Amino acid sequence: MRSTVVRTVPVVLYLSMILLPLLFAVDRLMLVTGSNPVESVFQIDEHPFGSDAVKFTFVQAFLSAILTLLIGLPIAWWLGRYQWKHIGIVRAALTLPFVTPSIVAAMGFLALIKNGGLLHSIGIDLRTETGIIGSLSSTIGVENSGHIIALLVAHAWFNLALVIRFVEPRIATLPPRYEDAFRMLPVGKTPFDRLAKFWWPMLKIPILSAFTFTFLFSFTSFALVRWLAPNMWTLEALMATVGGSAGIPGYRVEVSRFILGAATLQAIVLIAALGLTSRMQQRNFQETELVSEGYSRTMNGHPGILPKIGVFMATIFALAPLVFMALSSVRIRNRTTDSYRWSLEAWEYAFQGDLSYVSVPEALTNSLVYATGCLLLSCTLGFFVAHSIHSLEKQNRKKLAQTIDVLSMLPLALSGVMVGLGVLLGTLKIWPELFNFYGLPILPHAMLTTPFVIRILLPAMREIDPDYEAMGMVLGFNAIQRFLKIKIPLLKPQIVVASALSMAFSLGEFGASWVLLRSGAWDTLPVLVDQLMSRPKYFELVTPIAMASATVLMCTTFLLFVIAERFRTHKGGGF
Amino acid sequence: MGLTIQDLNVSFGYKYVVSNLNLELDSSEIVAILGPSGCGKTTLLRTIAGLQNQSSGQITLNGERIDGVPCESRGIGMLFQRPVLFPFKDLLGNILFAYQKKNQRDMNEVRSVIQEMGLEGKEHQAIETLSGGEAQRVVLARALLTKPKLLLLDEPLSALDVDLRRKIAKEMRLTLKTRGIPAIHVTHDPIEAEIIGDRVIHWTDLQPGGDNEE
Repeated sequence: MRSTVVRTVPVVLYLSMILLPLLFAVDRLMLVTGSNPVESVFQIDEHPFGSDAVKFTFVQAFLSAILTLLIGLPIAWWLGRYQWKHIGIVRAALTLPFVTPSIVAAMGFLALIKNGGLLHSIGIDLRTETGIIGSLSSTIGVENSGHIIALLVAHAWFNLALVIRFVEPRIATLPPRYEDAFRMLPVGKTPFDRLAKFWWPMLKIPILSAFTFTFLFSFTSFALVRWLAPNMWTLEALMATVGGSAGIPGYRVEVSRFILGAATLQAIVLIAALGLTSRMQQRNFQETELVSEGYSRTMNGHPGILPKIGVFMATIFALAPLVFMALSSVRIRNRTTDSYRWSLEAWEYAFQGDLSYVSVPEALTNSLVYATGCLLLSCTLGFFVAHSIHSLEKQNRKKLAQTIDVLSMLPLALSGVMVGLGVLLGTLKIWPELFNFYGLPILPHAMLTTPFVIRILLPAMREIDPDYEAMGMVLGFNAIQRFLKIKIPLLKPQIVVASALSMAFSLGEFGASWVLLRSGAWDTLPVLVDQLMSRPKYFELVTPIAMASATVLMCTTFLLFVIAERFRTHKGGGF
Repeated sequence: MGLTIQDLNVSFGYKYVVSNLNLELDSSEIVAILGPSGCGKTTLLRTIAGLQNQSSGQITLNGERIDGVPCESRGIGMLFQRPVLFPFKDLLGNILFAYQKKNQRDMNEVRSVIQEMGLEGKEHQAIETLSGGEAQRVVLARALLTKPKLLLLDEPLSALDVDLRRKIAKEMRLTLKTRGIPAIHVTHDPIEAEIIGDRVIHWTDLQPGGDNEE
């Protein structure tokens, strides 16, 4: 009886937490618009920017995924093939963008492309499209091509780690004799033959998986679109901007119709892409013998000059936006003389909060409180939901376990803005008093992070040898003692990773927070950065203050990962 | 006194793995049960320990029925085929798992058992660095400190090479006899069974119906 309660309560709580706000929101939008979600997809073009937003969302996501592969594949190939000195550091630098909050990434790229930024100073003007970019723009006849290039490059920067992490291990762990054998066959004589008939079949699943995930992240990207392509609309950016007017009966019904249609379309695309990837992985799964990375790399030796230059450039590419963002917080531009000076004034302003509703310390406190709340809620719920699924699997109730598993993944098919709007329309407009609840953003943050916690903990639970539990029983430990003294310590590495990811995600979360918190006393650091950047730039310190705030956010996120890394592994030790 | 098993039946679905099994064990006797892999030896030990539910029958330990008692309250120790050591603790930390609470610890006894098992100086060694024999000694030390009323040995030496297996079997027997702990040792190695047991029973004699598949 007790175990059934322990198993059922978290599942019911979690499913209510993710499903109820969304169901209420859809119900409310259907009531206001009189349309069902599918009908409303075909009414998106009734909104003045709807049709353009749909086109631009698909095109930019597709181009971003292609560009990411073009940049990422050679790097993954070189890293996987050759013996590199300090490969751990290179990998960490190349992974850094992926754990960077999106608003920090946006600020980093703005620091590079703004007036006086690195790219601007070498004649690449992506903002006002003069010089080379102006010529390019008029040649290809695409409006705002500078902005679009900046957005695509930023998406490629953000998702580069995905390509490397998906593809590089596969290249590094394939036994070299496979390729050797192929070279000796008539079908593998030329490098092109080997590429088409050996490497592509071996690498297509990780490459297509990287493509899909990059497409999805670019499809729902918000902060980068908002700041790097301000004249363009994606579905996510448009939903976030107009969403506040939705769900009110008799008022701007076209907005409610657009929100319902756009959210449905996004959900269909996300579910279809995730489903296709999963099916592709299952159908094309190859059981291949693998070797240790070190062995495979030893066979190919040290890299030549081209791989060295390529990897060096990629590392610079990964670090440059962040370095220039930090520098932009202390390099102040004098608007009248167009000269620069070095000063910490912006940091003083940021910490005093004179230009915003909250100061950096206040926003940081809010962010940390929300991140801690999100950590507690998502890790507790995620742990017990994973535990319930695992218990059902052990009892051979596999269908029920699978159903809960699939339902628990539902938020993965939702973007930050969709979840924020779900909470806004589904809960707040029914229960407006919640607007006065300080902890409100914890709910959408936890909705978005709990599936990741489940995905990290569930496989780890499945891998625990049942003899540990049996030994605990034989040693006389009761169920609670076994849970605290055996299960939790055994799962510690995964719990630490899930906690760090959960906190980092919450710290950097922008879409849902922006929808719910904009211009309030509880602004988080990403919202504060956005708020500062939205101000008129008459005062020369506005941009440096935003850059300083973004730098604080970046440092906090990285510090979190460094701390998590320290606690991640089992260290042994007595009691 | 000791262990008495009467008409024990254990089934998985419709398949009986242990059927009508009877066994008696004196208060400090060591019985070795010999049988091929997959015959049901492990299931028998897991049932005695309370890790596996029985279908019917009675298990009595020192005059008290234990078949309805949860595993953690039976006071029975068990060594599994592979040594179960917790990776997040060093050697000493694993041994101290014998005590449920810190204030129950008797560190003099702990030191004495560590010495007896030949593990001195390795207290703070990570468990990954222990050899197979050392790892089983740590598990035995931990089991001894729980002062079990009965110790169940589920082929704990099967992963070791023959010479080491027999050496440790001798040491185990000596330790159990010195402390007067009754034990059931299951194995498929007849020589190991002879070394460790006061009495060797073939599985087919315990279950006249023949071998069962697990």
